[in-house]
Amino acid sequence: MRLPTVADVERRMPRPDDFGSRARGTALTARVGSALGIAFMICFLTGLWSHVQYATPAWLTLSPHPTQLYRWTQGLHIVSGTAAIPLLLVKLWSVFPRLFIRPPRGARALVVEALERGSIAVLMAASLFVLASGTLNIIGWYPWEFSFRRTHEAVAWVAIGSLLVHIAVKLSVIRRGLGEPIDDAADDVDPADVDPFDPTRRSVLRGALLASGLAVLLTAGQTVPALRRVSLFSVRPGDGPQDLPVNRTAKGAGADRTALDPAWRLEITAGDRTMSLSRDDLLAMPQSTHRLPIACVEGWSRNATWTGVPVRDLVALVGAAPGGDVVVRSLQTKGAFASSLVVGNVAKDDRTMLALELNGETLDIDHGYPCRLIAPNRPGVFQTKWVNRLEVTT
Amino acid sequence: MRVVRSLLVLAGVACGLWGVWLMRDFTREQLTSEAFWLAGGVVLHDAVLAPLVVAVGYVASRVLPRGSRRPAAMAFLIWGTLTIAFLPVLTGEGGKADNDTILGRPYVLNWIVLTVVLAVYAAVGGRIRRRISAARAS
Repeated sequence: MRLPTVADVERRMPRPDDFGSRARGTALTARVGSALGIAFMICFLTGLWSHVQYATPAWLTLSPHPTQLYRWTQGLHIVSGTAAIPLLLVKLWSVFPRLFIRPPRGARALVVEALERGSIAVLMAASLFVLASGTLNIIGWYPWEFSFRRTHEAVAWVAIGSLLVHIAVKLSVIRRGLGEPIDDAADDVDPADVDPFDPTRRSVLRGALLASGLAVLLTAGQTVPALRRVSLFSVRPGDGPQDLPVNRTAKGAGADRTALDPAWRLEITAGDRTMSLSRDDLLAMPQSTHRLPIACVEGWSRNATWTGVPVRDLVALVGAAPGGDVVVRSLQTKGAFASSLVVGNVAKDDRTMLALELNGETLDIDHGYPCRLIAPNRPGVFQTKWVNRLEVTT
Repeated sequence: MRVVRSLLVLAGVACGLWGVWLMRDFTREQLTSEAFWLAGGVVLHDAVLAPLVVAVGYVASRVLPRGSRRPAAMAFLIWGTLTIAFLPVLTGEGGKADNDTILGRPYVLNWIVLTVVLAVYAAVGGRIRRRISAARAS
């Protein structure tokens, strides 16, 4: 017995023609690929917008308007990413036989082939990476050593870059594929060979779009209230204390004792002026009520009615003019985002407040009792809970 | 077309390099873990998932009666892609013990229901198609 040679292995490996399904084809790949490309672009742009909230470039001033903007963009980010999963899988299925195309002869052709395959490998690796890491982030499972936010962003740039290169390389094939009818041309196949009940390109295209739509319907209830009952697989069913889900509990934040301490006071500082207020002092101030969303990076969001004291009234107590940046600090001792910056543009909005009540009840401890920040058009992680300090910095 | 292509390639390479630049201060440990996940997806698809799907298709095309292949293939497509899309909530991982507002649905039960519904469609859909075709033939 001898060991198999490279030639033996090559002979045993399937060839593209060995894959029998008539359902594969350029007309299908181009259509599913186009839908996938659109989903990726929406996902990428909304994702960039979300990263801008974390690390705002100097040329951009975040605005409190439109109130629901971040809710929409981040909802769309998760929806488009979810929709992309079935599309990507069907797209990969439709071109899988091409993996077995034998390398061409000639050095130049070989280099071109290697470059093309390399770019596809990068595209595929990066695409699977962003979708997998994103869906795991939604459930809060991090079985890796890298920073989710920064790596998800960096690999998304690689994914979108290799997608643009892929579109450039395949432009003529894509145009041809989109121009071809999805159904078989009648003269193309011998009717005797055809089982009329075999899956066709049209049925696979329909199946891919249907699966993509179902994936969205069955999860999007966490951000689209009308779908709450339909979304059997949403990570956030939408329930919670005072009818609002919680990302981090008081216990999880290490704030469960300090938050209930009767000695709690809110400190407000501007330069060397300081003010200290009890919860009763806050309740004695003029209250305002607004309907504002909590919109989390994980793609869940929900509107709620908040009552509390506008931040601009609070900073006025220490003589600060409205329009200055305000740092909001929390009793939180565990986990990230124990403080957040409210830029002046947002701090002076009359709906930006330290909320004392949620949906008509005293704020639940898991929602940030004694008081929490709530501001329009702002990611949930920056809606700081268990607030004990406001610092006017400018 | 040539201009469009060149612009796409330039923009694509620029985006890709920017992505790599964003990783410049990642530690060795972080990069290793990232590389593992990047390569893992490709290997898992090309060496496990795709051959498995090809094998299922091969067997199904020989075992299933005429007329039930298309509904079976459609049911399998939807079942397979949705199962992968919902894999995170099916693992039982994630969430926090002190927070019952996350992962609050019986996901495995829901998945079994989804599976049964699609299996029934695969079986009955084929029978209906066969009956229609028999009625046409007679």
